[in-house]
Amino acid sequence: MTEWRGERQARDARIAAGRTFAEGKVVPAGAVVDLLEVILRPGDRVCLEGDNQKQADCLARGLSACDPAKIHDLHMVQSGIVLPEHLDVFETGIAKRLDYSYSGPQGARIAKMLYGGQIELGAVHTYLELFARYFIDLTPNVALIAGVSADRNGNLYTGPNTEDTPTVVEATAFKNGVVVAQVNQIVDRVPRVDIPGDRVDFVVEADKPFYVEPLFTRDPAAMTETQILIAMMAIKGIYAEYGIRRLNHGIGFGTAAIELLLPTYGEKLGLKGKIATHWALNPHPTLIPAIESGWVKQVHCFGSEVGMDRYIRERPDIFFTGADGSLRSNRAFCQTAGLYACDMFIGATLQIDLMGHSSTVTQSRVAGFGGAPNMGSDPHGRRHPSDAWMKAGREGQIVGDPALMRGRKLVVQLVETFGDKLVPTFVEKLDALELARKIGLELAPVMIYADDVTHIVSEEGIANLLLCRDADEREQAIRGVAGYTEVGRGRDRAKVEELRARGIIRRPEDLGIEPLDADRALLAAKSIKDLVHWSGGLYEPPAKFRNW
Amino acid sequence: MAGDRAASIDPDALSWYEATARQRVAALADPGSFQEFLPPTERRMSPHLPLFDLPRAFDDGIVVGRATLDGGPVLIAAQEGRFMGGAFGEIHGGKLVGLLRAALDLKPKAVLILFDTGGVRLQEANAGETAIAETMRAIVEVRAAGIPVIGLIGGRAGCYGGGGLIAGTCSRLAVSESGRISVSGPEVIETNKGAEEFDSRDRALVWRTMGGKHRRLTGGADAFCADTVFAFRRAALGLIGRAPAFDLATLEAEQARLEDRIARFGDCRDATDVWRRLGVNDPETVPAMDTDAFEATVARVREADHDAR
Repeated sequence: MTEWRGERQARDARIAAGRTFAEGKVVPAGAVVDLLEVILRPGDRVCLEGDNQKQADCLARGLSACDPAKIHDLHMVQSGIVLPEHLDVFETGIAKRLDYSYSGPQGARIAKMLYGGQIELGAVHTYLELFARYFIDLTPNVALIAGVSADRNGNLYTGPNTEDTPTVVEATAFKNGVVVAQVNQIVDRVPRVDIPGDRVDFVVEADKPFYVEPLFTRDPAAMTETQILIAMMAIKGIYAEYGIRRLNHGIGFGTAAIELLLPTYGEKLGLKGKIATHWALNPHPTLIPAIESGWVKQVHCFGSEVGMDRYIRERPDIFFTGADGSLRSNRAFCQTAGLYACDMFIGATLQIDLMGHSSTVTQSRVAGFGGAPNMGSDPHGRRHPSDAWMKAGREGQIVGDPALMRGRKLVVQLVETFGDKLVPTFVEKLDALELARKIGLELAPVMIYADDVTHIVSEEGIANLLLCRDADEREQAIRGVAGYTEVGRGRDRAKVEELRARGIIRRPEDLGIEPLDADRALLAAKSIKDLVHWSGGLYEPPAKFRNW
Repeated sequence: MAGDRAASIDPDALSWYEATARQRVAALADPGSFQEFLPPTERRMSPHLPLFDLPRAFDDGIVVGRATLDGGPVLIAAQEGRFMGGAFGEIHGGKLVGLLRAALDLKPKAVLILFDTGGVRLQEANAGETAIAETMRAIVEVRAAGIPVIGLIGGRAGCYGGGGLIAGTCSRLAVSESGRISVSGPEVIETNKGAEEFDSRDRALVWRTMGGKHRRLTGGADAFCADTVFAFRRAALGLIGRAPAFDLATLEAEQARLEDRIARFGDCRDATDVWRRLGVNDPETVPAMDTDAFEATVARVREADHDAR
């Protein structure tokens, strides 16, 4: 007779074994290794919650301290490879296979381990893609997650950094998996229930609060006049012309400069209320002046940002907050919002090739993608019009019946022609291709494919790729804004002038922008302290960003 | 737009921290009074940097000249923190030393040094170290001639390395909250002593230890200004008026002040411990205080003002 409850029985057995180290659901921090060694099985698929920001670090330390003779060959399925322990487990043999999305701080080590064959890589995903696979073919057997507090029944308050937790728990708890949550404290009553207790099997009171990286704080004091010039061009040449109201920003200095120019330069152009009103965005501190000046209607967040909690609490008309008053973020929903409900994604990259493919992978670093490819792609499942989307669609349409035309999402790359250490941003060939060849990846780690990119903005001007009619025009449009890089110097001068005459390339002067006006005086805030003042003292920057 | 740029030169609003060396000088001195010596058109550039394939600046990162301040003649030197961190090289140092020596002949009311420096330029270290020593000697001679030398510190690069030593020889110093004064920089201390001793990425710690408020509270600086050129101008005028004589009594008072400082605060682990011992009631609140609240706190601290240096 067919057994229909095998998974359920295995799950019950694991939980029963784990209960010997628990009082009810509560496990002391000192017993984490014992707990993990009895609830895990060799070869399990495990999500060790490593998000973009918050980290289940106590459970990560516990997992890396497990006996590899008992626990080995795990298949890690988690969005972020952020902590050293996330890779330590591959060195000891506790884990073997990896499917992930983002590895910012561990990008160099992960590249080395991929070259060395210590990690069997499934794929580098986008966030939504990995979340989707949690429900189809990468469902975790065990999820090790992080929250701020829990009660003894396992009801969980994730705090402002909810991030991936609901998605991970949904996939694990409802498909016979075991969920272990580390929390900063056990309380009698949680401020709000982000995860109901019947989805949480064990609660560990961690030895110290979980780690959160302030990933989205850009210090206005470090903003350069080049970045300000690029931001002015983007506002005048793209935001204003397409009337972009719904958007997502990347995390670089270029987009942070745009945020700081809205209340000054944007105000002068008369754009208030006409652009940048609805956002899928983490709570960037650099957005505070625009919020305070009444530019921003609402913001949905992937996660939170260190120091922004009190400010968000006091601005519930802008942010999504719970009955308790604190931010409710959700990476899966916000990524979906960024994909389907925004008319523009604008962000930076490390390399762009002659066709407009871009990548943040270099030969020594595999940083992963995170969410950029989700938001930085044209969603073919979109069916609602907007002026910005339709205008981009018209510009991009070459053939076919206009009555059957659909719109286009604007995907804008904001780059300086030379990046950090004067490395050229524009290249003939992406490093990602060489990396894929060396470690035998079937699919090169391209962040945004050329056919999704609509505009490239550099200090040399804006290239509108929607208006290009063939591959040669596209290449010359890109070379035309590549400045003094090899790629830029290889441009066909006559062709570039022709593209300029057609408005495909627009220089600052074509937009009526005087480069000498790109002055730091235009920034609504010139320092972190200015941001604190704008917030009325509600923003509490972490020590690493304070110069007072 | 042009109006914006004009507005940013308004000394009432112009941020000292944000301004270039030239903007600081132009807005600090009486309008139109500044005359530059060895201006960029003279092309006095570093002879050493081309060896390292590094770009040079036409003024080698320092602006020197004469001006009037409230009608009185002064000599001014301003380091440009945006060029190689305002570091001392051969030409850079030579211009400063030359200006100080000229003071002996020109007899201005004061010499103002607008520090913005990380110290000696590593690519021309010997020349830079020599320049530091010569500058200190020249300052001593200028002060001995009865001319006060006033240091103004509030730039992005702070006042580090040899710049910190030179600041110690000035008659009086004015500092803003963003200004930092020290010899070894945070990264140097961390490299030599470890992140447990001094975490250079903890910027709040850096400012607590080396920043303007701490220096003012302990009497390391003699005036505290808001971050505007106007505030620095007012501070400079005030300090010129109350610069100490340069004689044996002053030097002995300075020696006694420094010995007393080590005795009183030598065992403190953090600047907040020092502030508490100075009599600041709620030391944790000092970093977030605005200028007025901080001035009120300074007024209650005995060590902040003294006749020494």
